Amino acid sequence: MSEKTAGSIYDLGYRHYTGVRLGRRHAVWALYVHRLRASFGIGRPLSSKMFPVGLAIIAFLPAAVQLGIAAAGAENARVVQPENYYRYVQIVLALFCAAVAPELMGRDQRSGTLALYFSRAIGRWDYASANFAALISAMLAVTVVPQALLFVGNALAASDFFQYARDEWRQPPAAIASGVLLSVMVAAIGLAIASQTPRRAYSTVAILAVFVLGSVIGPTLLNVSGHDVGRYSLLLSPFHVVDGFTLWFFGVSPDAENQLAKADLPGALYATTAVAVAIAALGILLWRYRRIVA
Amino acid sequence: MPLVTATQLTKRYPKVTALDALNLELEPGVIGLVGPNGAGKSTLIKILLGLLEPTSGSATLLGFDVARQGPELRQFVGYMPEHDCLPLDISATEFVVHMAQVSGLPRAAARERAAETLRHVGLFEERYREMRGYSTGMKQRVKLAQALVHDPQLMLLDEPTIGLDPGGREEMLDLVTRVGREFGITIIMSSHLLGEIERVCDHLVQIESGRLVRSAAITALTDRRQLLAIEVDGPAEPLAARLRQLGLSVREDGRVLFVELKDEALYDAIRDAVVDLGLGLVRLEQQRHSLEELFRSPAAEQAVARV
Repeated sequence: MSEKTAGSIYDLGYRHYTGVRLGRRHAVWALYVHRLRASFGIGRPLSSKMFPVGLAIIAFLPAAVQLGIAAAGAENARVVQPENYYRYVQIVLALFCAAVAPELMGRDQRSGTLALYFSRAIGRWDYASANFAALISAMLAVTVVPQALLFVGNALAASDFFQYARDEWRQPPAAIASGVLLSVMVAAIGLAIASQTPRRAYSTVAILAVFVLGSVIGPTLLNVSGHDVGRYSLLLSPFHVVDGFTLWFFGVSPDAENQLAKADLPGALYATTAVAVAIAALGILLWRYRRIVA
Repeated sequence: MPLVTATQLTKRYPKVTALDALNLELEPGVIGLVGPNGAGKSTLIKILLGLLEPTSGSATLLGFDVARQGPELRQFVGYMPEHDCLPLDISATEFVVHMAQVSGLPRAAARERAAETLRHVGLFEERYREMRGYSTGMKQRVKLAQALVHDPQLMLLDEPTIGLDPGGREEMLDLVTRVGREFGITIIMSSHLLGEIERVCDHLVQIESGRLVRSAAITALTDRRQLLAIEVDGPAEPLAARLRQLGLSVREDGRVLFVELKDEALYDAIRDAVVDLGLGLVRLEQQRHSLEELFRSPAAEQAVARV
């Protein structure tokens, strides 16, 4: 730092800004883009990229395998089914959320940058919404995009690409609907938890705990309780809720060994639960940002 | 249009009252907000920015109601907080560009303004490096840059020299002065150091325990107390006596005499007196009382008043 010479060099005359000021909507958009980039560590050092990018790559593996099989020329070899895709990568998606959400929520609280946002045109709800939208978008990139790739892979593996696409036209809307609902629910849970503390380690552990413990407690309660009410305990597990509405969107019944078959709940109930959880978590997120001291 | 109005502005916390029915009206300029730590300076700034909600009362800034017209108002305002506010794992350039965009500037304009602003605050090659490695002085410059990048009409600077060494303090004060005087941006700057306010500001607002103690132009506070310091190479007493004969009020402080400067004729009177007494004039200097001196204690006030 050339402290001594600085005075003479920066004496260049100040120009006022006369261009457009795009206001609040632009500000929120800029924050959204910034957060989406930050989700994957773009513009950050390598250490920030490692986890999100690594996990995203793993989330693509099943689709890549299917594409590889198709490329190898195997006909009608459909190893990976779209309705099962999220089940294969569920722990990866949970890890992705647990890695990214604390990064989005905690950094500004730790560094004190929150005050700079709130002293600009961005309101507290704008801030929460932009982060929510960014995490949903990032989640879509690791859910719906692999599904699209899988669809292409499966179609290529089929004897006739276009015939497959015609026959399986229900798949893309189901994949998109389930991917969107999954992304919204997981993102909302992740942010609601991560917003509570500036400490990244705490929120990462807490987010993983919700997903992992849920997937243990839900089926356990289901199996120990003989009552009819016990069936609903499966709704405590986010993974099973995701599996439930995904199968429902695809119009597929769960396999006999799947806990879902045991609970035998209506598919729409899983979707409704996901929406309710997302709304509740978003409520917590907004409540937190309404009160947070910047 | 007044820059700031505050009407019965009150902020109460469970245990303390940070602002106590504060009434204030300020015109644009370079305004210094002074008071001891905990006087309510930061609270006032945060309420004006909409970061805190007042318990009661209202305030306007640039003609906007701070509670109801926050988003419109804040496009024209820059804020440099007292606390740390920089994400350390990105570069100053990237951060300031982002902050410009969040202030409403299109991307291209944000890049251009960020580069210019960082240059104005004296950050050059190092602006491409992660801020983790910056000195306190450099961080303070980035904090100033992010408040300036969107060319606000008003900047609120909360203790801009905090944590800086004397050299860095001087440079920061120079920068703030430049922003206020040359860039023509209205500034409200808080400090617990009177000397800083005196150097940079043209208006002073003193707050203590959430109440307004005084609000006045700094020249009004210091001008009417101008003194002339006289030092001669011989005994000072005869000169003091001679000047008193002329009806002047003289205070002796060791070898130095202080005479209240009322008009220019005083210089001639002193010259003649010195020549008549056959003394050599070592020093004849106009002294402006520092604010520090005025504020220090009632005793100091009286000492000045006695002159």
